[in-house]
Amino acid sequence: MLIEQSAYSNRWRSVSPAAKGLFAACGFVAIFAAKSPLTATLVAGLLLLVTLIGAGITLGRYLRAAAPALFFLAMGSLSLAFAVDVGDNRPLLHLAPNGLAKLVEVGTRSLGALAALLFLVLTTPLVDLIALLRSLRTPELLLEIMVLCYRMLFVFSAAVHETWNAQSARLGYASARLTIRSLGGLTANLTLQVWQRAHALHLAAQARNNDGPLRFLEANFANTGRDCRVAGVAGAGLIALAWGLA
Amino acid sequence: MHIMEGFLPVEHAIGWTLASASFVAWGLHAIKKRIDEQPEQRMLLGVAAAFSFVLSALKLPSVTGSCSHPTGTGLGALLFGPVAMAPIGAVVLLFQALLLAHGGLTTLGANLFSMAIVGPFVAAGIFRLARGLKRSFALSVFLATSLADLMTYVTTSAQLAWAFPDPLGGFSASFAKFATIFAITQIPLAISEGLLTVVIFNALARFNPQELRDMKLLPANEVRA
Repeated sequence: MLIEQSAYSNRWRSVSPAAKGLFAACGFVAIFAAKSPLTATLVAGLLLLVTLIGAGITLGRYLRAAAPALFFLAMGSLSLAFAVDVGDNRPLLHLAPNGLAKLVEVGTRSLGALAALLFLVLTTPLVDLIALLRSLRTPELLLEIMVLCYRMLFVFSAAVHETWNAQSARLGYASARLTIRSLGGLTANLTLQVWQRAHALHLAAQARNNDGPLRFLEANFANTGRDCRVAGVAGAGLIALAWGLA
Repeated sequence: MHIMEGFLPVEHAIGWTLASASFVAWGLHAIKKRIDEQPEQRMLLGVAAAFSFVLSALKLPSVTGSCSHPTGTGLGALLFGPVAMAPIGAVVLLFQALLLAHGGLTTLGANLFSMAIVGPFVAAGIFRLARGLKRSFALSVFLATSLADLMTYVTTSAQLAWAFPDPLGGFSASFAKFATIFAITQIPLAISEGLLTVVIFNALARFNPQELRDMKLLPANEVRA
């Protein structure tokens, strides 16, 4: 996965996830605090620069990660610019009063929030984020589902990929009807694997006398305090900038 | 289609998060009770979440010629129950935001409410109703998953209409606008997903009828959907 590759290979891999989470949270607050589209754009631009220059993510990789979300944003924002006039005869679609202003306002806010999200996910691997959620006292059962889900999704992805290739080699996806049939077979097989793998995991856990939470070694970050202070100051600056320019 | 990161106003984002959080808490409480009775269910839920995540990456052909992905809402609700789907859905949607930048953290509550709360409860309700009316297993599965899919997008349309009411026609005009836009892709997708789920249950009923009976989805005398 593109985002996970960046999260493991960026310059800020060794920076505490708590600090990166704090800065991203400040980014979200700044974006929602920004009263004008210009301010929101400025905050989004700063978050982008921090991700590119600070964490060393290449622009190409950033844009590839952002492309699907940007497409959805363009489609979603466009729908805000138009209004439906339910007249006497039939409904008419036309440019809404202040439609373009709404489009720009929501579009820039969403762009800024996306920049804050991308800063977090492109610099922090998911295992570190799960450890961060544990330190924030997220319910243990929810964390267990997350840990198991993360560990199993690569196993299932490989199984799907191999089954898909085998079915494709036998023209299983040659038409829409065959596609539905092949997908049904693939998903049914995968559903059976869910039970088999869950049962195997349960037996493995029982064999180790596990009757409590699942614990894994977590990375140790030496400068968490310093990192959080720097992130706090930078994040506060971002919020002050958003309020000051409002 | 998920609502994008930062798209909803802050008060809506907080409101939907609080609404969904109560269902997640209820789901966790129910799962905890279930795990106390059947400890092997603990692993099943984590594995099921991974299954849902992978399922959402599959491309499904649509009648309009475009491709989309199954939501898995109806399938998950029938297999694991609607209450368990809220925590599983929370993990899947969180992972989609963190691993694929699809959806978002500020819109997690709104997306969770439509996809992992409304959809599963509709699926379970329709399935129970159809089986109560003595409809066939295949028709019950088709109706449950198709209508769950549709209700998910009706809810998303309502959420967007509430956040962005039409300047002239208010909520209803805005709802009609968003629902019409979604209908172009979602009605064919709902039909495709309904058909796909029937094929999945046919395969399960053929090769693993015992699991379906254990989950009380199939009566003892019914083997094939």
